[in-house]
Amino acid sequence: MKRRRHRHARAKQGDVELNLAAMLDMAFQLLTFFILTFRPAPVEGQLAVNLPPPVAQTKVEMPTDPNAEGDTPVDTDITLHMYVTANDQGDAQQVRVENNPISVGPLDPGKVQMINKRLATVFGVQTTPFDRIQIAVDGRLRYEELMKLVDVCTRQKKSDGSYMQKVSFVELPQGQGQ
Amino acid sequence: MSASSGHGSEPNLTPILDMVFQLITFFMLVINFKGASLDLSLKLPVLGSARPLDTKGGPEPLLLNIDTQGRVKMLGTPVDLEQALAKEARYRERTGGAKKGEEESNTPVIIRADRLVPFHLLNETIKTCQKHGFRHYQLSAMTREEAQ
Repeated sequence: MKRRRHRHARAKQGDVELNLAAMLDMAFQLLTFFILTFRPAPVEGQLAVNLPPPVAQTKVEMPTDPNAEGDTPVDTDITLHMYVTANDQGDAQQVRVENNPISVGPLDPGKVQMINKRLATVFGVQTTPFDRIQIAVDGRLRYEELMKLVDVCTRQKKSDGSYMQKVSFVELPQGQGQ
Repeated sequence: MSASSGHGSEPNLTPILDMVFQLITFFMLVINFKGASLDLSLKLPVLGSARPLDTKGGPEPLLLNIDTQGRVKMLGTPVDLEQALAKEARYRERTGGAKKGEEESNTPVIIRADRLVPFHLLNETIKTCQKHGFRHYQLSAMTREEAQ
């Protein structure tokens, strides 16, 4: 009886057993690392703008009504000027396109829509020469308010059908912002 | 025929190991190392029309995070923007991305600024970048408000 068991034990010694416990432990370590470092990326988008350094623009007399389509061709500047003033809290106070106020008070969705419509009217004129927009911004204006205006500007279509991308910023001198 | 005895049966670890490797592979594929360059403490403005722009095929963009104090952070650490941009320009010259003395750079600059940043601080950053020849900018915004 003992001889049979001894022979059986010797046969078992020839078997190779793979101990998976260590490999599993290592795998769990790796898994824990990746779970702890996993972070879903925030949903972000971008607005592409070309920002050449602001250059001195020759100010040309503009008709006060941007909707005017006179017979006499006006030799105009190719930059549309927008002015934005703000209060101390960073909210927009007034938005002007050239000398025409188009919005007063903080930029709620309704006012943004109105600004969009006014700009669309300007750019919708086939003879519109504008190919860039310069926004003169009060230094106190919050970035989120500015982005609303940039968004409106970049949604405008130029006369060649492409979207406006040349948007430049200048800071309004202190004092002019009030 | 197996000679296993009635007691002492060992669990088969192969399926569990296989499952673990599947999970590891999943997390390895979705891990995002570029997320380290994003300062997630910033609250970006919300713009529904913002869309992720594809920068593949072009030069690697330069990512600037601007907090409410106007501090610029790159890879999580506040940097002196002038020095950082000068270093960036030297690096691109060395790697052939830009020619020496080239005035304009095709490298896009991605600006991630907190929604409360006043414009004058943002303008300083943009002017510094313009001085170093950067012309193309991408202003980041959230496409929707993050869930609380």
